[in-house]
Amino acid sequence: MLIQLVVAFIATISIALLFDVPKIEFFYCGLTGGIGWVVYLLVFEGIDSKVLATLAAALTVSFIARIFAVRRRLPVTIFLISGIFSLVPGAGIYYTTYFLLDNKFAEAFNKGVETISIAISISFGIMIVFFIPQKIFLLLNNMRKKDERKKWY
Amino acid sequence: MNEQEIVNAVIEKINVDINEQCGEIKGNSDMIFRLVLKAGEVLLHNGGEIFRVEQTMEIIAKHYGVVSIDVYAVSNGIFVTMSIDGNYFATQIKEVPIDSLHLGRVAEVNNLSRNIVAGKYSVEEAMEELKRIEKIPKASDWARVLFSGIGSAAFCYMLGGSIYDSLVSFIAGLFLYLFINFTEGRHFPKALKITIGASLVTFISILLHFLGMGDSLDQIIIGSIICLVPGVALTTSVRNFFNGDYLAGTISLVDTLLVATSISVGVSIMIRLWNYIL
Repeated sequence: MLIQLVVAFIATISIALLFDVPKIEFFYCGLTGGIGWVVYLLVFEGIDSKVLATLAAALTVSFIARIFAVRRRLPVTIFLISGIFSLVPGAGIYYTTYFLLDNKFAEAFNKGVETISIAISISFGIMIVFFIPQKIFLLLNNMRKKDERKKWY
Repeated sequence: MNEQEIVNAVIEKINVDINEQCGEIKGNSDMIFRLVLKAGEVLLHNGGEIFRVEQTMEIIAKHYGVVSIDVYAVSNGIFVTMSIDGNYFATQIKEVPIDSLHLGRVAEVNNLSRNIVAGKYSVEEAMEELKRIEKIPKASDWARVLFSGIGSAAFCYMLGGSIYDSLVSFIAGLFLYLFINFTEGRHFPKALKITIGASLVTFISILLHFLGMGDSLDQIIIGSIICLVPGVALTTSVRNFFNGDYLAGTISLVDTLLVATSISVGVSIMIRLWNYIL
């Protein structure tokens, strides 16, 4: 699992570079993506459903992305797009259109439905987290600062 | 009171209302209008969400004293109408092509709008800053090539490939962005660029696999093309549908399908060609 975390961390950073995220934020992007992927794997092992695992991971990623967005004072998109990249059904989209071109309509249909379900569950996860008011994240951020003060001074 | 007097009185009343409503215009009206539109354009072009585009434009306009502004943004265009001073009306429709993301610019525009609201920029200064943001370069060509390779290898491993598969994916990923860098600045149609890119990647994967590197050809190819597949676009599209932006959602969806079909065509042409030749 640790290897998977590291690999997902690296993958997310590569994607962040291709999307021209500012270099200082690479670490945070990588962390978002890495944790999201590990959550996906853990839930997938537990309940063996791609859609639910993606939902859980999307919730985690969006939540972390929002925390980082408040903390780093940046738009949440930066962490969200790079973090969510390892979850998005890129392979599914590819297989769907590939099967279609290959005249394998049954497989294409199955893959297509799965792909759309995953996309919907990601959007759903993001939406749920976006309903949480910004105040709570500001509060979380302030709490962290206070803790740090206690620790260091 | 005759008719003319009534009309005059009504007009005067309206003018008073408008003057009460509008704050002090800070700067040249035309400049404000162009600034607001430009801010929205840079955001949308580089991957800002629809609601962020609309919000940012409204916030900037309100700060410079614009009374009423209406923005309607879709994935590839902005429609904006503004009235400044109660007598200056302007409408513009701006087409913004769907392009690759540059989140650094989105971050900078966001920062700029925050600073504008804090009162740190006059209209002219903000415009200068916006022009600077628009020209922030992409990551260097070699960095993009290298990280495309690393990303391909990492995704290949994550999607179930072995270490040897990842190695082949790494090489194919390098070639993918060498090609993408080559097309940049030349007027390559998007679909063609992606089809050729996918074919190239498939060719290299098959060749290396044929020469005995890597285990599963499927895993190698899927890892190598992951930088092309429109997963983010599909998710954005569904998010737009959920937000009620049906038009924006449809545009992203069509874009997703176009890109996905191009990739599959590229891959499948190359596989068939290889099987035919051998």
